[in-house]
Amino acid sequence: MSAGGRTPPGKPQTRALNCPGCGAALTVRSFNNAVTIVCDSCHSILDAKDPNLQILQQFKAATDKDRPHIPLGTRGKIRGTDYEVIGFERRTIHVEGVAYSWHEYVLFNPFKGFRYLTEYDGHWNDCSTLKALPDVVSFSSPPKVKYLGETYKHFQTARASTSFVLGEFPWQVRVGESVEVSDYVSPPRVLSSEQTGNEVTWSMGEYMLGRDVWKAFRLPGSPPEAKGVYENQPSPMSGEVKSIWLTFAFLLLALVVLMIGFDLSAQNKDVFTGYYKYDSNQRGEASFVTDDFEVKGHTSNVELKTTTDLNNRWIYLNYALINETTGQAFDFGREVSYYHGYDSDGSWSEGSANDAVAVPGVPPGRYYLRVEPEGDPGHGMTYYTVTVKRDVPQYSFYAIALGALLLPAILLSWRALSFEHLRWAESDHPMISTSGGDE
Amino acid sequence: MTQPTAPCPNCGAQVVFRWSSSVQTVCEYCKSILVRTDVDLKKVGEVADLPPDSSPIQIGTEGSYNHKAFTAIGRIIYEYEQGNWNEWHLMLNDGTSGWLSDAQDEYAISFAAPGRKLPDQCRVGDRFVWDNEGYEVTTITKAHYRGVQGELPFQYWDKTDVIFADLRSLTGKFATIDYSDEQPALYLGEMVEFDALGLKNLRTFEGWS
Amino acid sequence: MMRILYMLYGAAVLVGLSIAQYQGWSLARVNEVKNVPRSVRDNPGSYRSVYSSYHHYTGGK
Repeated sequence: MSAGGRTPPGKPQTRALNCPGCGAALTVRSFNNAVTIVCDSCHSILDAKDPNLQILQQFKAATDKDRPHIPLGTRGKIRGTDYEVIGFERRTIHVEGVAYSWHEYVLFNPFKGFRYLTEYDGHWNDCSTLKALPDVVSFSSPPKVKYLGETYKHFQTARASTSFVLGEFPWQVRVGESVEVSDYVSPPRVLSSEQTGNEVTWSMGEYMLGRDVWKAFRLPGSPPEAKGVYENQPSPMSGEVKSIWLTFAFLLLALVVLMIGFDLSAQNKDVFTGYYKYDSNQRGEASFVTDDFEVKGHTSNVELKTTTDLNNRWIYLNYALINETTGQAFDFGREVSYYHGYDSDGSWSEGSANDAVAVPGVPPGRYYLRVEPEGDPGHGMTYYTVTVKRDVPQYSFYAIALGALLLPAILLSWRALSFEHLRWAESDHPMISTSGGDE
Repeated sequence: MTQPTAPCPNCGAQVVFRWSSSVQTVCEYCKSILVRTDVDLKKVGEVADLPPDSSPIQIGTEGSYNHKAFTAIGRIIYEYEQGNWNEWHLMLNDGTSGWLSDAQDEYAISFAAPGRKLPDQCRVGDRFVWDNEGYEVTTITKAHYRGVQGELPFQYWDKTDVIFADLRSLTGKFATIDYSDEQPALYLGEMVEFDALGLKNLRTFEGWS
Repeated sequence: MMRILYMLYGAAVLVGLSIAQYQGWSLARVNEVKNVPRSVRDNPGSYRSVYSSYHHYTGGK
């Protein structure tokens, strides 16, 4: 006996609508959910009991539940071939009690066959059935399949049931029927398997932008905005992350070369050493000036090092590096303190008995130091040495440069990671986040 | 085809309905509104229609496969629960016969492969190896003849249901085990792209180039 | 595209670094004073640091 499948529809039976009053053309209007038929000439409205009107109203009620973005019967060009939209379906899955629905459009070309467009939350996919079977990779968790040299990771398995259907499908589709669907992704592609008891069908989809769909079918207006990240949506940063870190490696190398270069070319020469003592008890003028010394080379820094014998004391030194010829001076103060002791946690220490400071941008010339020490009366004698060194490498700048170079690479990697996080958040295998998951 | 057409009851011109269950259209010539009365409105939104017979191949279509020319000389239409498909009987220029199956415009060529041991029944997921190729059962279909055309290599014409097992391989090969006879029969072949067959003398479709 | 921008940015960082190293910049807080008189050599006490730490009046009453 012939199975439940319907035989294709025969020739359509039609009836023309003419105004019963004046026989003129009628206009069909839709207000809210109702359909009315109005005569343009005599303005009479067709009787609500007219069977034609009832057909139109019932039809509108049945089809208004879900309007396809691409109207049935529209033709568009996909991959160089013209296709006609002949069917539309809404399918629903339930994940943790929440219903998610997506739409599928059946595209048809009498020679090339069928293609499908799927749409979910503004994300589109161009799909077709596979000729060969993908290779299931054994012992992988989460599961993976391989097809044409590409590995696809399992994204989700769910039971999908049809909740609305219009038009023609190459197989019988009924509201309420369900299949088990598994998606495996390798952005921008996705492999989908649909399984009923007797049949397994594999298809591949490629992510498509809404605006390309609108262009292909010459649809008016603009496509719905894509919300969130879809399973096989290509990451805007995927290739970039690798190339940025490669560039970083290159820049790091340049940085190291520069560092070595500057280290080798820096003078780093002692130009003055003086030995002094300071008695904090002594009254009178504590300030003094040193002998002058020559500072050579191009404008560079000068490192002033203070080495003391402080022991649980402090000393404050007002320094002025004065150019004997030009009268230009560099004025600064340094506090040197060193404390140490022993307590219940062990030995501790605070500060340092030595101090170094780099005076920036010192032009070459003849200089002397003016020194004015200060200290706590009762500290007694402090012996200290002042050493002046010309053109010392500043390592802190290398650290700052390293940080500056790292910053964009880290930012981009973080952004790419967040994108992937969002992608997998909707799947059966969400990425573990350090800030704690939703569940 | 997918856009049903009918003559306008007022002026006789051809009118087109946008899609299979669309109930309303306007005649381009006399501008009268036409309403379809044969659409089962209870099914709209609930059940999809099947496309009418849409195989682009017809008796007399020529093509080539594996450097051998063939002509389609016969056809069997099978019908099953979810729809139907065509098996075109091909005569190759070396005198052998083969089959070109056209299921929703997915094409596969296969040839009878006698002499293998076949199970009395199989299930989806079962695996076999023939000619060093691994196959897995992807579909079990219960179908019957819906119609025949042209020349066929066998005579009987029975309306009872028979079982077909379709198998696919990792490399796009295709196989069918036909359980219509007492002895199951195996056909081995592969999936093919429409363009690869170089088909000529195809059916024409109104509105499509 | 990103790569080129980053390269340019990296080059700018390295150039800045080179200038800083060459010119001998440092992060220390040092005040510059002009025209220190010769007399400071003979009388160091006459030099008052306070001269150099005058504040720029930035407005307001």
